[in-house]
Amino acid sequence: MPSSSAAIETRELTRRFGAFTAVDGVSFTVGQGELFGLLGPNGAGKTTLIRMLTTLIRPSSGQAFVAGHDVVHAARRVRESIGVVPQALTSDLELTAWQNLDIYGEFYGLPRAARRKRAEHLLEMVGLRDRAGDMVATYSGGMRRRLEIARGLVHSPLVLFLDEPTIGLDPQGRRAVWDLLVQLRSESGLTISLTTHYMDEAEKLCDRIAIIDGGKIAAIGTTQELKAMVKGADRIRVEVAGDAAPAAAALRAQPYVQEITADQGAIVIAASDGAHAIPKIIERLESAGAAIRSVSIERVSLEDVFISFTGRHLREEPGGPAAPIRDPLFAAAQRRG
Amino acid sequence: MKKSWAIMRRDLIKLSKTPALIVTSIVMPVLFLLIFGNSLEGQLKHLPLVIVNQDHGPYALRVMEKMQALAAGPRTINIAYMDNPGRAIEQVRNGRYKAALIIPPDFSRDITVGRIAELGLFADNIDSISSTALQALIAQATAALRGGFVTAREPKLNQIVLRPTNLFVTVDYDRSLIPGVIVMALFMGSMTSGVFNWIMDRFSGVTEAYLVTPLSPWNIAGGILASSVVATTLEAIVVLIAGLALTGGGLTGGPAAIAMLCGVIVLTGTGLLAMMFAMYSRASNPRLIGGPAGFLNVILFFPSGAIYPVESLPPWLRAFTRWNPETHAISALKSVMFKGANFAAISSDIAFLSIFTAIMLVLAGATLKRSL
Ligand SMILES: Nc1ncnc2c1ncn2[C@@H]1O[C@H](COP(=O)(O)OP(=O)(O)OP(=O)(O)O)[C@@H](O)[C@H]1O
Ligand SMILES: [Mg+2]
Repeated sequence: MPSSSAAIETRELTRRFGAFTAVDGVSFTVGQGELFGLLGPNGAGKTTLIRMLTTLIRPSSGQAFVAGHDVVHAARRVRESIGVVPQALTSDLELTAWQNLDIYGEFYGLPRAARRKRAEHLLEMVGLRDRAGDMVATYSGGMRRRLEIARGLVHSPLVLFLDEPTIGLDPQGRRAVWDLLVQLRSESGLTISLTTHYMDEAEKLCDRIAIIDGGKIAAIGTTQELKAMVKGADRIRVEVAGDAAPAAAALRAQPYVQEITADQGAIVIAASDGAHAIPKIIERLESAGAAIRSVSIERVSLEDVFISFTGRHLREEPGGPAAPIRDPLFAAAQRRG
Repeated sequence: MKKSWAIMRRDLIKLSKTPALIVTSIVMPVLFLLIFGNSLEGQLKHLPLVIVNQDHGPYALRVMEKMQALAAGPRTINIAYMDNPGRAIEQVRNGRYKAALIIPPDFSRDITVGRIAELGLFADNIDSISSTALQALIAQATAALRGGFVTAREPKLNQIVLRPTNLFVTVDYDRSLIPGVIVMALFMGSMTSGVFNWIMDRFSGVTEAYLVTPLSPWNIAGGILASSVVATTLEAIVVLIAGLALTGGGLTGGPAAIAMLCGVIVLTGTGLLAMMFAMYSRASNPRLIGGPAGFLNVILFFPSGAIYPVESLPPWLRAFTRWNPETHAISALKSVMFKGANFAAISSDIAFLSIFTAIMLVLAGATLKRSL
């Protein structure tokens, strides 16, 4: 039996393809109304996980419940409760947007009048009203993606699954999708499961994030919680007049300092709670007689969290190179931690 | 059921947006009817024959008269005359004539004295259809002469003359092709709709979006099959009407005949569509259908009695025709259209088609790919 209030719950969920394990003993719970993010690199097993939750493929072992129903034994109840926006574009190119929604709504047994009303509302919401009568084959990728989000909402589902909904969209298109998701959650209390490999997307939208890599959940929590899990995450840079070595020595044994390096008039300190460490660092340096010229802080990013848990970078833009390592010191600290 | 209706509606909308598909499904069988109906006649005509008459007796004249009658009446042959047998044979060799008929100098005398008389027929046997036909014609023409003197046969004094009587109203060859082109339209429908739509849905990813809804794979396949049966049988009925109009003449038998024709068309269409589902529902790519389906089209169509009598096929092929659904469809359609058959007369064909369709539906269901 699932926990009563969970929108999604998995227990040791596993899927193998032959000898290869694509999803490996995944357990997590998503509460109702939550916007939950699955963040992971290519091939991490995100789509496989979503496909099990949306009843497309069967788990090899473990259990999963969506909207309180078992995905294997009550697949039909699950299907009635979920909306899905698959990773691949799957709308029917030979129909208009309106026909796509209308026919999809019929699958759920919605009466004609209700379908019409709902489709009009959704097409308005995703900004396709003007093009609703055009064949989908004439749409841009962004328009098609928005149509598919509308299609996933036709029957007012309890849980919406989106598998990389912003892939291949320009910044403007991505923002439009983000706004839509934020609006949806605030208006309807819908539970949303969002798969992405964009850090900014996960950080901006998700209440909680699971970092998935190699089929396993590497870490799970709110953005804040995830960042706090990373040791010495914030970097504080202090410029001092003259030699930095004595100033660095004064800080070395302090509890709020995790790593420290000094080089030509600047000290870089790694601290897990940088904001609170700054006043202490200033106080300590002043009492040691150092003349402070500037203080700056670089907060930990989700990217850093990701690298910390997976040992890898996650590309920021589709097709673009991996983000460069910003700070050699930080990278070294991570390797040791 | 209601959910299958949604898929059916979808496919009919899509079909209505591709009128080219509907038009070709109708025009192509009709074109077939026009081309073959007006070229391959039921009987051969205008076969060029050269006659060399070296005998001037009465029997040679009788033979000539018979041949001239064939040329003037049914126009089976066109006759030319020559004196030199060597040159005549030469002209057959180089393709100017299909055969040379040589009446030797002592032909009439041999008959008169009761010896076996011989005619020489030098035929272009590479074109075996013409040469066989000419041989039969000349044998027939000369057999009627007193004493029958056809090569190497014992002369018989009392001749039996066969007078053929047609059981049915004569049907022109082009009209007799109508059942064939109806079945052709049905087969083309089973190639371009039905399982093709199913594979296209899977290939384009649409199926993935459907299987996360309460729609079952059965609903999807059922809806596709239903829309295809509707579209394909309507196309076949248009082909029937066009065929009747083009070959001049309506349909005898009234509403009962129309109902039986429609019944056979729906049954055959469903059977062929189900057969294609049973064969291809697991194919991952629509391209896989084209080649084998084209082959299947020919292999089912040729030995079906549509253009050539099944009785004249070699025994091994005749055995196959008994299991060929198109044979039974064509037999039933011909019986109703040309012989004024009642239901009892076509019931064995209907029974075969029903069992075939049922088996194919079961097979299609058993092999249907139900997961992604
Ligand atoms: N049907 C399948 N048969 C065999 N292997 C599969 C199958 N589906 C997925 N895999 C493998 O499982 C792994 C996880 O794939 P999955 O599609 O779940 O990754 P993903 O996290 O969604 O990646 P991406 O970000 O590229 O979409 C991959 O190595 C993939 O090759
Ligand atoms: Mg994926």
